[in-house]
Amino acid sequence: MRALKIPVLLLQLMLLVTASPASSSSQTNTGNEKDTQLIKDFQDLVNKYLEFRKNEAGSSPRPTNSPDKIADTQQQLAAKLQDKRQDANQGDIFQPEIAAYFRRQIAATLATKHGKKIRASLKHAEPVHGMALHVNQVYPQGVPLQSTPPTLLLNLPPLPKELEYRIVGHNLVLYDSVPDVVVDFIPEAIPPETN
Amino acid sequence: MQRWSQILLAALFVLSFGFAQPPAPAAPLLASASAAASEAKPSSKALDVRLPLANKSVRFAVIGDSGTGGQEQFQVADQMERYRQRVHFDFVIMLGDNIYGGHRPSDYRHKFEEPYHALLDAGVNFYASLGNHDDPNGERLYKPFNMGGRRYYSFKKGDIEFFALDSNYMDPTQLNWIGQSLQQSRAKWKISFFHHPLYSNGRMHGPDLDLRSQLTPLFRQYGVNVVFSGHEHVYERLKPEDSVAYFILGASGKLETHDFRPSDQMEKGFDTDRVFMIVEVTADHLYFQTISAHGQTIDAGDMARQEQPAAAAKNQK
Repeated sequence: MRALKIPVLLLQLMLLVTASPASSSSQTNTGNEKDTQLIKDFQDLVNKYLEFRKNEAGSSPRPTNSPDKIADTQQQLAAKLQDKRQDANQGDIFQPEIAAYFRRQIAATLATKHGKKIRASLKHAEPVHGMALHVNQVYPQGVPLQSTPPTLLLNLPPLPKELEYRIVGHNLVLYDSVPDVVVDFIPEAIPPETN
Repeated sequence: MQRWSQILLAALFVLSFGFAQPPAPAAPLLASASAAASEAKPSSKALDVRLPLANKSVRFAVIGDSGTGGQEQFQVADQMERYRQRVHFDFVIMLGDNIYGGHRPSDYRHKFEEPYHALLDAGVNFYASLGNHDDPNGERLYKPFNMGGRRYYSFKKGDIEFFALDSNYMDPTQLNWIGQSLQQSRAKWKISFFHHPLYSNGRMHGPDLDLRSQLTPLFRQYGVNVVFSGHEHVYERLKPEDSVAYFILGASGKLETHDFRPSDQMEKGFDTDRVFMIVEVTADHLYFQTISAHGQTIDAGDMARQEQPAAAAKNQK
């Protein structure tokens, strides 16, 4: 049994190393202390937001048979958060230097051999166009979620559970899945395709 | 001749009064219509069942892109219930877009609970994966979808382990999870299901190439046997890739007619009616049958399990 466990653990470790965004980010940012600091600043702001949301609005509710209860809880969470974050603005988390880092990182990823596949996946995913974005808005009901290409996600700083990067048109959204709310966004983060 | 017909009419008149049963008590119109409809349906014995119905097999149904709340979804659900009575499948996997449009409580009822009420009443469990039209937060918390509050999860049934993925957001955490879970699984059969297809001959969307580049190496390495996806509003069975069988079933509510741009990859395509699938898995074989909303079997076959999965689907049709 012990003999079996060792290769399994080794394989798990290899998987973590090969698939972790930190490794791909660190490869891209080798020797770039400024970028490392920007990632740390971003993650600090994200963690601060999450702590604030949990303290002020609440955490993820438990599963239930009642769609009414799901809707009520979600609305209450969003309303509390919107009330407590009334003064939040676009760029509070994606501060100018952090946003610039994300733009560079996305452009660099799209410039690699994976760029074509990522672009194809973005087109494949029923792109959402013409949706005006606002910080604190609840993601509108009935508007499909555009999937976020996995290779792009591998090259962005990891997020805590419950927070996600979402693509809306050409914008990169920081989305809190628990209250279903847009936390912040970077306008036109996906550069247009050039031939 | 005229006299004979008068006699015949008189006899019929007498018979209709003399031997007619007392009139049935008046019933509500909807109930009568429903009863008439169920009487008009062929008995379950008349069903075209292509599964072997073997002892101790695992049987389930597959639906995708179902949650429109439209008449066609109800029609598919009615067919599913007819087949359940004969085939006795006890769970359904959902390939995403389980609830289109709004996600108000009434939407959960009208686009899920009402169409499938007969299946739910019979104790059939549903296991959902998330599509791009779903509300990830609401649906993962909705107990009848059996997601346990998670966006991705696995569960076991007999010799099968199922891996439900969230293809909307395949982040590094989920990729690590699926790699480790597949690696650790000792199930004879590994079946994964999620919304966005990795291979597709549909014109509307086509394959998700980036998702494919991340998932297929794991499926190949850790011996996934079958992958079910939706998103493309058609039925398609593809030639196995690296011993993995791929099915698209995205037309259990939505339908995109004449949507194919067929290639050599396509084994079977169908895009002129809504569909669902029933599947039976024994220790060494998987049998499938795809049925239209009108009860027509449009595809059926089986595949043998191999240690290094070679899902050589044999088309019976």
